[in-house]
Amino acid sequence: MNLIEILSYGFIQRALLAGTLIAVLCSVLGVFLVLRRLSLIGDGLAHVTFGSTAIALALKFYSAASLLVSLPIVLLASLGILKLTERGRLSGDAAIGIVSAVGISAGIMLASVGGGYNVDLLSYLFGNILSISYEEVLIAVALFCVVMLLLGLFFNDLLAVTFNEELARVSGVSTHLISAVLVMLTALSVVLAMKLVGIMLISSLLILPAVSALQLALSFRACIALAALQGCCSVVAGIFVSFVTNLPTSATIVLLNLFCFACACGLRRLITISRNKQVA
Amino acid sequence: MSAEIVATDRLACSYREGSVLEDISFTVAAGDYVGIVGPNGSGKSTLVQALLGLVPISAGSARLFGARCDGFSQWGRVGYLPQSLHLLNPIFPASVAETVGLGLLSLKKFPRRFTRHDRAIVDELLNELDIYDIRAKLIGELSGGQQQRVLLARALVNKPELLILDEPTAALDPETRERFYRMIADINRSRGVTVLLVTHDSGVIGQHASKMLYLDKRMLFYGSFDDFCHSAEMSNLFGEYSQHLMCHRH
Amino acid sequence: MKRIVIWIVTALTVGATLVLAGCSRGEQRVSSKLQVVTTLFPLYDFARTIAGERAEVTMLLPPGMEPHSFEPKPNDIIRISKAGLFIYTNRYMEPWAEQILKGIDSKRLRVVDAGQGVAYMKAAASDEHDHDGHGSHGAAGQAAVMDPHIWLDFTNAAQMADTILAGFVTADPANAVYYRTRAGELKVALAALDQRYREGLSSCASREFLHGGHFTFGYLARRYGLEYHSLSGIASESEPSAAKMAAMVQEIKSSGVRYLFAEELLSPRLTETLANEAGVAVLKLYGAHNLGKDDLQRGVTFIGLMEQNLLNLQKGLACRPK
Repeated sequence: MNLIEILSYGFIQRALLAGTLIAVLCSVLGVFLVLRRLSLIGDGLAHVTFGSTAIALALKFYSAASLLVSLPIVLLASLGILKLTERGRLSGDAAIGIVSAVGISAGIMLASVGGGYNVDLLSYLFGNILSISYEEVLIAVALFCVVMLLLGLFFNDLLAVTFNEELARVSGVSTHLISAVLVMLTALSVVLAMKLVGIMLISSLLILPAVSALQLALSFRACIALAALQGCCSVVAGIFVSFVTNLPTSATIVLLNLFCFACACGLRRLITISRNKQVA
Repeated sequence: MSAEIVATDRLACSYREGSVLEDISFTVAAGDYVGIVGPNGSGKSTLVQALLGLVPISAGSARLFGARCDGFSQWGRVGYLPQSLHLLNPIFPASVAETVGLGLLSLKKFPRRFTRHDRAIVDELLNELDIYDIRAKLIGELSGGQQQRVLLARALVNKPELLILDEPTAALDPETRERFYRMIADINRSRGVTVLLVTHDSGVIGQHASKMLYLDKRMLFYGSFDDFCHSAEMSNLFGEYSQHLMCHRH
Repeated sequence: MKRIVIWIVTALTVGATLVLAGCSRGEQRVSSKLQVVTTLFPLYDFARTIAGERAEVTMLLPPGMEPHSFEPKPNDIIRISKAGLFIYTNRYMEPWAEQILKGIDSKRLRVVDAGQGVAYMKAAASDEHDHDGHGSHGAAGQAAVMDPHIWLDFTNAAQMADTILAGFVTADPANAVYYRTRAGELKVALAALDQRYREGLSSCASREFLHGGHFTFGYLARRYGLEYHSLSGIASESEPSAAKMAAMVQEIKSSGVRYLFAEELLSPRLTETLANEAGVAVLKLYGAHNLGKDDLQRGVTFIGLMEQNLLNLQKGLACRPK
């Protein structure tokens, strides 16, 4: 099947469009998250989304309306993670682990105590990049605009805070606000994008492009650009490759990201070796 | 509006484990070069952190430029070089130019964007501090001395009136250390920048600083270095031999 | 200090509430009637029909849950051990059943493998043709897995009813006559259902029906001579590949069907995407593994669901009414 034929399918077109938008915004957010050791926050917040959706369904808020319940809960959870790292003297990963455990156990508790649902809870949570509807593409576009706009407005503040909080504060940056913006944007992205592309993709796109870019980047702006590029390319290539090889799409995209990471590491090693040779 | 750059009144700071600073009262005038010395754990770092609003104050007050430290907002007038111990993430992908540029944030209002003019200011400063040739290097790849100069540049780029340095030379070799202190002294003299320097090295104080603040949780001495060396009280406190050592290290 | 106390009290309160909630759910009315525990909905429906008022039947699967991913909890195991009769479908559908039963030591408990005596079909790979149930020869290295959805062929269902009846009679011989009568009525109803299906699906414009869910209706298709394709394999977790989805779209378009059938309970996203792409409408087809909470409360029956299926099949395949 050739390229034109593949592109003729509506679900492929929507997967490409929504997928690349989500990949870019996750990759960029991911750079900040990885540098602050919050890389697993995507996973953690996804568990909270699970728990909050269970609450929403138990209160009979179905499909889109469930967002009215989940979104505030996940936003609060993200702020909770932040608070735990600041006050509780916990590192980011431990804080995420705690909040994540609360989320998923709450969901499972509710699912069993609640006496059942009309639909299978798990299947409603985990999206599939191949089943994105037209309305969901619009959601992806809106999310992309909101996240990119806010990241753009706060870019230098985010950079300062990520680099060193003390110095940022002495430069007049309000570190609490900026950190809150970062985690809340992540929460928003996780809740909305999880429905579209599923948890595996979100989690991987938040981490892998960022760590690859960190291997090679020569400046922070270059790092952001590289991460976004990898995210975007891995989704596009992943969709086509998975089509041709008849493999599951999400997993293919993740594997491509891993491949990019391996290449980045290799390149870095080559550069270091050649640099040492020059010096010697 | 007095010419007092820094003023504290019975300042005290305490953590859950106990009090770190008690009853600190002193003022710093414009153009002063104050060395803050004391043994380990004496609260030196805590003092400057309290001045900058980085740690909470449990009693008393502290003012910068006449304004209270909590809620202080004139960050453009301050430059800070923190202790380098836990400072830098070695993989942080920021170039020297980007890092120094961040110091200009204190002069900007939301949304903080960098202009070509800003880049020119950064370049000029990098030239002055002789780190222009490494402007594109990642900060994690630099030597200790270079990193210090980069962070000093960041602290100076917004042309502050007050420069606060916390043990800036702890990780440097003696020669680099000397150069660094000469730089600071030069900045203090030629630009009239008020300097607060926290250090272990009382020799430096003697050479460059105009005032010395000796503390060990409480303020033990505040005055000029000469006064310190000729003070009978200090002699009693430290013993003549120690005093002699501290005063004649150059 | 005060905040710590508040946190501890809150945690203890929440914990206590949950424990109490769990305990109260586990209470069972002590009754002298035969206690029957079933797994899937069809078994539950047959068993309660046969039981009438002389036995109490419960279903292990909580409403709304997809059975292929069901794992029994400690409470469930206790329920089974306290019952007089435990009915499960077959070891392909409930692979955990035999394991649990090994661990239960109850002289009173009779176990019924409802699928005993049924002729099983091999599971086919989802995108291969499966006219007569032979597995795809091209599937590299796939172990022969049996298709567990036997209850969708109503002759099998009648067989299952007999097997279940035998279980009832062994467990509660005192009411054997009562149970036999009711089982007899059930089988008559099932036979009538089968007849209606045969007539209803005899002259249809298309003999192919396409399903966006997992491979459920193999037995039904075989019985009524229909061609059946589904998007996913036997277990509902498999994520279909892009190529498979495209192939399904092509199949829909080339077969000329105007409806795509959707699976209940699971998220209809994939089915809707396929339907959208191919420009067809969606009709629901009940696999009847399990029911949603509301349906259960409304007292929906297996035969009732199958009648709805017949209507939808007739619509989807454009069958002429007899």
